[in-house]
Amino acid sequence: MVQKKHEIEAALAKEAQDISAGRLKEDNPLDLSEDFRIFCEACRRGDLKVCQEQISKGVNINARDRFDYTPLILASLCGHYEVARILLEHGALCERDTFQGERCLYNALNDRIRNLLLSYDYAKSTNPLQPLAAHITSLLTRDSPKTADIALVTYDETFQLHKFILSARSPYFAKKLAAAPDTTTWKLPQNIPSDALRVALQYLYFAEVSARSATYGLEGEEERAVLTGIDKLSRHLEIPELFESITEVSDRRRLRQLRNEELERGRDQMATWFTNNVLRNKIIVDTDKVSSIRWDRNNSIFADVLLRADDDDENTYDSSESDLTHSSTPSSESTIRNTSGLLNGIPIGPLRSHSRSRSSSRLRKSKKSTLYPAHRAMLLRSEYFLTMFSSAFREAQTTEHLQIITMDCSPRVLETILTFLYTEHADFGLDIAIDVLFAADQLFIEKLKQRAALIISTLGNGSTSTVDPLNPRGETDAEEVLDIYEVIRAGWDTRVHRLEEFGARYIAYRLEYFIDESEFADLVVESARRIQKRQETDTVELVDDIRYYLSERFRLRFEDSGLDEMMDEGKEEDDEFPDVDETGDFDKLHISERGGGEVERFSEDREGELLERDIEAQIAAGAVRTLDGKIAGDEFAQDAINYQILLGKIDTLLENLDLEA
Amino acid sequence: MSIQGLHGDEVDFENTWAQIASAFREIHTKNASKLSYEELYRHCYRVVLKKKGEELYKRVQNFEHEWLSNEVRSSILLLVTPQLSSHDMVATTATEQRTAREKFMKGLNAAWRDHQTCMAMLADVLMYMDRVYCTDHRQISIYTAAMFLFRDDILCAPITGGGGTGHVLGLLNQVILDQIQMERAGDVIDKYIIKSSVYMLEHLYEDESESEDKRLYVRSFEVQYLDTSREFYKREAELMLRDSDAGAYCRHTTRRIYEEEDRCKSTLSEITMPKIKKVVEDELIKNRIEELVGMESGVRFMIDNDRMDELNLIFDLNSRVDDKKSELTKALQKRVVEMGTDVNSAAIAASQAPAPAPEASEKGKGAPAERTLNQQTVAALKWVEEVLQLKDKFDRIWRESFESDHPLQTALTQSFSDFINSPTFPRSSEYISLFIDENMKKGIKGKTESEIDMVLEKAIVLLRYIQDKDLFERYYKKHLCRRLLMNKSISNDVEKQMISRMKMELGNNFTLKLEAMFKDMTISEELTAGFKTHVHQLGDPDPKRIELSINVLTSMTWPLESMGNGDSEDTKRPQCIFPTAVDRIKQGFEKYYNTKHSGRQLTWLANMGSADIKATFPKVPQKDGSFKERRHELNVSTYGMVILLLFNDLSAGESMTFEEIQARTNIPNSDLIRNLQSLAVAPKTRILLKEPMSKDVKPTDRFFFNEGFQGKFIRIKVGVVSSGNKVESDRERRETEKKNDDSRAFCIEAAVVRIMKQRKELSHQQLVAETLTQLQGQFKPEVPMIKKRIESLIEREYLERIEGAKVDSYRYLA
Repeated sequence: MVQKKHEIEAALAKEAQDISAGRLKEDNPLDLSEDFRIFCEACRRGDLKVCQEQISKGVNINARDRFDYTPLILASLCGHYEVARILLEHGALCERDTFQGERCLYNALNDRIRNLLLSYDYAKSTNPLQPLAAHITSLLTRDSPKTADIALVTYDETFQLHKFILSARSPYFAKKLAAAPDTTTWKLPQNIPSDALRVALQYLYFAEVSARSATYGLEGEEERAVLTGIDKLSRHLEIPELFESITEVSDRRRLRQLRNEELERGRDQMATWFTNNVLRNKIIVDTDKVSSIRWDRNNSIFADVLLRADDDDENTYDSSESDLTHSSTPSSESTIRNTSGLLNGIPIGPLRSHSRSRSSSRLRKSKKSTLYPAHRAMLLRSEYFLTMFSSAFREAQTTEHLQIITMDCSPRVLETILTFLYTEHADFGLDIAIDVLFAADQLFIEKLKQRAALIISTLGNGSTSTVDPLNPRGETDAEEVLDIYEVIRAGWDTRVHRLEEFGARYIAYRLEYFIDESEFADLVVESARRIQKRQETDTVELVDDIRYYLSERFRLRFEDSGLDEMMDEGKEEDDEFPDVDETGDFDKLHISERGGGEVERFSEDREGELLERDIEAQIAAGAVRTLDGKIAGDEFAQDAINYQILLGKIDTLLENLDLEA
Repeated sequence: MSIQGLHGDEVDFENTWAQIASAFREIHTKNASKLSYEELYRHCYRVVLKKKGEELYKRVQNFEHEWLSNEVRSSILLLVTPQLSSHDMVATTATEQRTAREKFMKGLNAAWRDHQTCMAMLADVLMYMDRVYCTDHRQISIYTAAMFLFRDDILCAPITGGGGTGHVLGLLNQVILDQIQMERAGDVIDKYIIKSSVYMLEHLYEDESESEDKRLYVRSFEVQYLDTSREFYKREAELMLRDSDAGAYCRHTTRRIYEEEDRCKSTLSEITMPKIKKVVEDELIKNRIEELVGMESGVRFMIDNDRMDELNLIFDLNSRVDDKKSELTKALQKRVVEMGTDVNSAAIAASQAPAPAPEASEKGKGAPAERTLNQQTVAALKWVEEVLQLKDKFDRIWRESFESDHPLQTALTQSFSDFINSPTFPRSSEYISLFIDENMKKGIKGKTESEIDMVLEKAIVLLRYIQDKDLFERYYKKHLCRRLLMNKSISNDVEKQMISRMKMELGNNFTLKLEAMFKDMTISEELTAGFKTHVHQLGDPDPKRIELSINVLTSMTWPLESMGNGDSEDTKRPQCIFPTAVDRIKQGFEKYYNTKHSGRQLTWLANMGSADIKATFPKVPQKDGSFKERRHELNVSTYGMVILLLFNDLSAGESMTFEEIQARTNIPNSDLIRNLQSLAVAPKTRILLKEPMSKDVKPTDRFFFNEGFQGKFIRIKVGVVSSGNKVESDRERRETEKKNDDSRAFCIEAAVVRIMKQRKELSHQQLVAETLTQLQGQFKPEVPMIKKRIESLIEREYLERIEGAKVDSYRYLA
């Protein structure tokens, strides 16, 4: 259905009215900050790395710039598929039937991007926080494994609940539970109907609530009783938003915005609580002292399990960690602790040894372990923990002191995982990304795995953007953080296709650096084996991918070369000197090729022969260029030659490895 | 040991496996609570990450295989004792057997449960292998693989000891079957154990596809179970049919079916339910239903003795195996026709039986012929009552026993229709019409509205069965005509109700003429009233004026010929000569009528009217000695009035001969005889004296005015012989049928012409078929008759034969 122009104008005017009246929050507020400008610029250029950095910094992904452009519109207009995907994955809105949404679709450079946008239409996609919310909501009804630690009792019903969620979400509970953390049942006043409490609890547990479903099937007196009860609870538990959120909203966008706000508020509450309690209470001890640590079941942060991670041998973040450790001593003043303070804190015995060991660790540099208190209820988000706690093994048993479960990763990785499980936040550095990837794979946390892959494939890209026409010659930063072989192998091991793609692209754009390395040859062999194991096909996936990206790398130069030439003329001249340098490089390459001369002789099929002639022609062209010294025109020819040479090298490599191509 | 999977050195596989294996052994010996899940999982994870998934998978399989065949199998085989197989050892008692069996099953179940629990734990530990290695390499999950191992290593383990052959699974099946057989024989067995065993079989599959129908339960146990059950029920059915009656058989079968359903729920699996039910139904019902229905104590017996419950059981059983319930239907229809035929022949017998003693009849007026007729009327009414009773009986059976099943209702209707329209009993139409007539005249007197409704409904019910509706219409018209003209009807409303019911049942066409009759009656009343005022306006205040009440009948709608008796020979009825006073008023009315409706011909039907006469008898001594003038009001037929008025002109003592009377009145012979009979022969209304005194009237008889006439009442009604509706004599019936055939001929011709006008050309077969359907609602024409009508239409050039057509065809000639 296409709307008429006047209809759209009317809708826009109404929207503006709603926004100015405060009924509707603006989806795309104006943002003139420097960060946002950089962000937009990156979206224009398709610079994945900068985009990812800015997103991690927390820039508003749905804001608009001075020219009324949102990042998503820019990315789709400029045809950066990868960037658009990242934006959408981070919650950029592209909703049909809104002005900005339609604009975005209309502007999409090609169908691939357009389809991507459509697949993220709000009607189909969900809020990125929804999985977290759904998990917490499901805790209300989950019986096994048992995670509830407090029972709320009304006159006719009992609710099994979790202290940490209650105290994270309701200031009232926070105070009360801090005062008496070992409470196991809680009686409510008789006059509060179970239905009202249920609604309040659903709200606390992140469920979507509405007055209609709360009072469904009730009428008159009962309905009023429930509504009064909700109102009372809302004030009592100090959750003023409850009553607001049960009121009906018919507008779809308004509803979505409210829900988003609500989820974000809830998540922030969880995050605050998580930081103030879980992270603040982590313990660092010498590895050989871990077994002496005893945590009582009744503790002020309601943890029911301890997770242990051992440091790597090279202790890179020792100093910063010790600061944090300081704050985790019982004397520290966390928001919750200050009311009770004395009881159920971290047990005294092991802590003494802990502090001793810490002081001595400075001297001996002995191996350290970090222990995080945690809640099974949240860990269940990982299938690994779900199985563990549902099984009959040791970890599932209730013991007097909390179980210590060793995690197969470094403390930083564990912290990242915990942060993700509690808050859905997953922003971490490239340095631990691969470790997180493996850990997430091991624990079956699919979303975190994807996040890690995303971070690797964006931040790991170096300064080059995905399709940077200005860098067809594979210039790269001197210092690379990433071992690309490791990345590709990790992609295979953890079955993340995105990483394989990324690796192939990465190599393709720098092929001249890799092609002669023996490790690269090993990688190709490995890739070939992987495939042969699955089924009998003739292609080597990695090589195919590299060929594809190689063509992409050079394609832009060949296609609209005429136009590019005119536009870039000025620039080209600036680039002259480095180009010349490089040319020298490649000439050497040519020579070595010629000297070897085996490529041509060994190629058997007709395609090879064609290729061969091509290469010869190109080489001839190259020679002409060197002789004539023409600058602008010959650069393209040089690219063409380079392309052919690289392709030829791949073929040689395959021949040498005795692989079919 | 390394921390990071990726950075780690090559995992020492053998070492790791040794750890894993020992942990698995702990799990199997139920010491898992000491083990750390994290540690085991980590080991397995590492192994898989190092691409040793395949090897791990094989090792685990091997481990399980060894465990099962070394530890578990022997303990199961220990339980295999000679007592298990019931067949070769006579010495073992039932109790011993049962204990041995239960022990065996318990042992097997326990082994299975342990295996499941352990494998669930192993699968938890090996989760990463399942997800990564098995998915990538299209292997079945380790849990499933271990289940197959259990099947192969335990269930398929051969049994060597105890003289038995085969394998554990076969033995298990046999044991379960034996237990069930015991339960069928009435023993109590432990259902739970069997259920557990079945549960095991249900979760094991024959091959790796794991489809529903590849379960061991389905493939191995269920087949045997169904076979033995079939055999068992086959024998049981034979025994039962020989030894018990149909009712008991039904009850037993129902119980068996229920038992089997229950067994599937409590002991075996729900998926067997439809299959075993089919076996029981096949053996106990489907293959036996014919014998069952035909048993001495079968359906016929049940119907005759109103065994509603048993009929219901039979119905239930039959409907299980046959949607149409054909066996039951067959038996039922047979019985209905039998009973109906009995009623028919009873009616015929009653109508032909010699008249009972004259005293018995109260209504009769003397003539023996009349008595026979009367006898037949009674027979007719009895027939109707009996048919209705029969109908009631079967309706009740249908309601109470057959759950108001629709096809059975159709079958019943069919059977009723069959015997009512049976060619050996052609009187049903007449009988039904008579039944209505009787009720209209007498039956409904003093009845409440709802009772009347019921009577009417009964009549309609019977009417539905009638095939030749036109014949019924003819009779009904005749009877109605009499009722109307003679004012015999008790309530006009009820008559109209009846008509409207018929209209609903048979359609507008059917009642058109009947309604016209009612309309004529109304118009006549208006005419009479109009004429009265007309005469009044003429200003002729003659005190002796004769009052005229008249019915003008449309000749086409009224079956007038049936009113006159046997006037078929002379087509034109001779006009009766009315006395002058009467003739004047007749002319007056004719004049009046012509002013209202010009161009209409009025024919006076004196034979159908009646007249009230005030007669004064002279003073003659009476028996009681009184001596006074007596006045009577005589109600006589119009002919009677004409005759009596002749005697006004005679002086006392004078007489007239029959011939003289005939000459002066021009009344047809037969009518005259009948009227004179009622005036001069019937003892209570002997206003004339006849010489010689005899019952018959002869042309030579002389008639006198009976001055000494005595009557008990002032008003005396002089009846005319043979008025009133009775069953027709055979002659009359032939008459009616002939007329009916004539009118049918017209109907058929009309139908043929209608069809041909529309179709223009049609083959003979099609034409006949269409004619039959068109006339369905009215009657069922005979095919030769249709042929004859077609011939006649061809002769009259409505149709022509199409020359050279392959099949006989006709063309319509416009």
